[in-house]
Amino acid sequence: MKSDQVSGLMLFALAVCVWWLNRAFPVGSLSDPGPGYVPLLLAIAFGGIGLLIAAFGGRSEPLLAIRWPEAGRAAVILIACAVATLALERIGYRLSIMVFLVFFLGVVERKKPLVVALVAAGFSLASFYVISDLLRVPLPRGPWGF
Amino acid sequence: MIETFNSLMMGFSVAFQPQVLMYAFFGCIIGTLVGMMPGLGPLAGISLLLPATFGLNPIVAIVLLAGVYYGAMYGGSTTSILMRIPGEAASVMTCVDGYAMTQQGRAGPALAIAAIGSFFAGTVGVVGLMLLAPTLADFALRFGPPEYTALLLMGLFVLAYMSGGSMLKTLAMAVLGLLLGMIGIDAMSGYTRFSFDITELGDGVGIVPVAVGLFGISEILLTAGQPEPPKVQQPTLRQLIPSREDFRYSAGPIMRGSLLGFMIGIIPGSAHIISSFVSYGIERRLSPHPERFGKGAIEGVAGPESANNAAATGAFVPMLALGIPTSPVTAVMIAAIMVHGILPGPMLIQQQPDLFWGFVASMYVGNVVLLVLNLPMVGLFVNLLRIPYAYLYPCILAFCILGCYSVSNSMIDVWIMLGMGGVGYVLRKFGFDLAPVALGLVLGPMLELSLRQSLAMSGGSYGIFLERPIAVVMLALGLLLLALALKPVLFKGRDWRSKVGLDDQAG
Amino acid sequence: MKRIVIALVGVLVAAAAQAQETFPSRPITMIVPFPPGGVADITGRPTAAALEKILKQPVSVANRPGAGGAVGNAAVANAKPDGYTLLMALSSISVIPEADKLFDRKPAYALDQLAPVALISADPVILVVHPSLPVKTLKEVIALSRKQPGELSFSSSGVYGALHMPMEMFLHAAKLKMRHVPTTGGGPAITQLLGGHVTMTAGGPAAISGHVKAGKMRTIVSWGAERHPNYPDVPTFKEQGYDIVYYIWAGMFVPAATPAPVVKVLRDATRQAVADPDFKNQMAKLNSPVQYLDAPEFAKYLDADARRLAAVVKIVGKVGG
Repeated sequence: MKSDQVSGLMLFALAVCVWWLNRAFPVGSLSDPGPGYVPLLLAIAFGGIGLLIAAFGGRSEPLLAIRWPEAGRAAVILIACAVATLALERIGYRLSIMVFLVFFLGVVERKKPLVVALVAAGFSLASFYVISDLLRVPLPRGPWGF
Repeated sequence: MIETFNSLMMGFSVAFQPQVLMYAFFGCIIGTLVGMMPGLGPLAGISLLLPATFGLNPIVAIVLLAGVYYGAMYGGSTTSILMRIPGEAASVMTCVDGYAMTQQGRAGPALAIAAIGSFFAGTVGVVGLMLLAPTLADFALRFGPPEYTALLLMGLFVLAYMSGGSMLKTLAMAVLGLLLGMIGIDAMSGYTRFSFDITELGDGVGIVPVAVGLFGISEILLTAGQPEPPKVQQPTLRQLIPSREDFRYSAGPIMRGSLLGFMIGIIPGSAHIISSFVSYGIERRLSPHPERFGKGAIEGVAGPESANNAAATGAFVPMLALGIPTSPVTAVMIAAIMVHGILPGPMLIQQQPDLFWGFVASMYVGNVVLLVLNLPMVGLFVNLLRIPYAYLYPCILAFCILGCYSVSNSMIDVWIMLGMGGVGYVLRKFGFDLAPVALGLVLGPMLELSLRQSLAMSGGSYGIFLERPIAVVMLALGLLLLALALKPVLFKGRDWRSKVGLDDQAG
Repeated sequence: MKRIVIALVGVLVAAAAQAQETFPSRPITMIVPFPPGGVADITGRPTAAALEKILKQPVSVANRPGAGGAVGNAAVANAKPDGYTLLMALSSISVIPEADKLFDRKPAYALDQLAPVALISADPVILVVHPSLPVKTLKEVIALSRKQPGELSFSSSGVYGALHMPMEMFLHAAKLKMRHVPTTGGGPAITQLLGGHVTMTAGGPAAISGHVKAGKMRTIVSWGAERHPNYPDVPTFKEQGYDIVYYIWAGMFVPAATPAPVVKVLRDATRQAVADPDFKNQMAKLNSPVQYLDAPEFAKYLDADARRLAAVVKIVGKVGG
């Protein structure tokens, strides 16, 4: 498999999903398009383009030639962000961002503990102060009001 | 003419009052700082500051907000260039070549040219606003749904025409953006589409979380896991300043971008993103070295940045001359003066001359302030890059989460940003260019709505697009561009793309 | 030992009682379900500022825009009912659940999840036409529309939106058919009319005032129960023999399960707040007439309004379906 063949087929599959979801909405007519009209057109175009990419993709680099050396780290980053996001409205902004930074600087990047503590505390407190106290945008606080 | 001059002098007498001057300055600084936060752009900036202006007098309030607006536009381009994080839709194009320049250690010239281009475009915009506001405003009103449909179609055709790599892949990404734009409540029928029962998706997917995710987060995902941390670029002092060659390359794009941006800016609606895309496309076509685009061409920063700033000023034309909000940003500004009992409307300039002329004069002042403020700061900003990446990226991530959340206090926006980061990462691995997604997302809902509005106006007849001269001209132009773009594909003709070896996968 | 425990319990109970009595003891958040600068926002902010002075606790405004107000309304409907989360909602609050029902959607919230505290302001909308249209009165509008059925068009702030509902009331009452061009808000709706792309629209008195004075649009009739003080020459539908009334109003709500004593504190505070000179001044500048109603009367008003609007939603039915 070549990379473009794979990505083209992925796009085609997505187009089929959109078409499937779009069946719930009336398409209307050419002179009076309904809510499903434009999405249907787009799904057809998307699927068509996907197939064309796959069809002309014979000369692209093989799928296996794409290396994913950073995928592990990327997954760690996304998961850590997701955890921080979940924590945000539960334990408050300052605490979750502090933990988030400690995790990255201390565990992932293995920096010196003192520096880690300073950056994590400084960043979360300072950004909270600017956004919440100066700009008066209420940021989430934890159950302890912090 | 004399009258305009006298009015302008009166405006300057307002703008140079110490209090007004101070607020203009203050606004520019706050705006720059807000704009530099990833995820916070001009709209977020002035929305956050709007309540603070309720206690001020209307002139000061609007001057402050205009300063914030300008500053945030500039601040947004700073993060686009340094970190590949767009603060708003229009900065997406700046990310491409601006960040490539940063990677080559040329962040200094990129930032400086962005500042100079913004200054020039802002000045052109203000002059246009001052001299032409009433005339242009009437022209702007003639843009109804059919004209708007034609404009948006033209924008999409330009995209096909300017696509750098594989045209199919570019179109696929544009359609993906258009599809993302279908999410949410359909304004014409009230159906909620593709929202998976998430109420927050009713208004659709916001451009800021998508752009921050696709560009900023995906970049971090690609970079942070590299076995070797990215080299810290240590530009020498000379490298901070644009060379004579940089200026020579940028002069044309800045001028063209300013004019183009201003014209698109006065059209009601929020299609300003088109101006930066079209400017980028034009510059690439006009350039003798189109292959440099996407790899750190300074024209690719100068043109779109100028276009986007001129469009921002152009948007004030209908706001001040007619008193109608034509974009979310001007809607907030109108609210700021309505709070003080000033009713927006076509009589605003006559009834509140000191407001109008004070505003115009303070835009001149604001432009100068920004230039003076930011050129010396270029060195400082570039030094941000000296922070080791291991410290920089966790902080950028935290900023992105904070920025996306605080715009509308919405967790969903943060999730969209993270999801788009993952999607963008995979797509980039497969060699897709992501800028068209942003364009499609912004244009999608507008295109669908204006098409269906046009048909509602005409009772279902497509003839409406052929009865209106502006729409006809734009459609013809768009089709011409599309034909030119397809020519090499259909006739296997040789054009610049094959010359530079980009045509390999064009199909 | 026993004594100490009793004493401790006593202290705790007293403290708890104290806490009950001294609502509010920490900052209050007022949720505005629209972006900054909208009617709800510019009504909510002066109200919050006035409440702050009376309750002696910060009242901060948080914008939770989305889905025509559904996101913010739902956020408060599902918030902790302790009185520390308020909602400044617009009349659309009763339309959203109806539209959800119509489309078989999972409802974002139910109206009975929210308890009314006070009505703050109410403004009728006014029918305006493009000056090129050769009509000056409601009769002429209707006559012209009968002569060209389905040819006249109107713009609105979106289907089932605040400016669509009154037009449908009118069209239904007068048995007319017109082309509907929905837009994405009140501003764009007016822009369409100014450009002559539609022939009429319903507009808020403050938003159209400048354009009417400049002769860019012509007023025909108002949906108010009586004539609007700023438009004494504009007749009402009632005067013209149509029993239709429509106001865009802004009112304060709390989650339905909020304890009565807490609601009482908020009601009393709001009553004082609307009498505050700063507040009055601010609202006068906005050209937004204060229409204060306390909770019981507001509940009645809301009930009538909700029934009226539900009927209109049913008449309109699914568009394009």
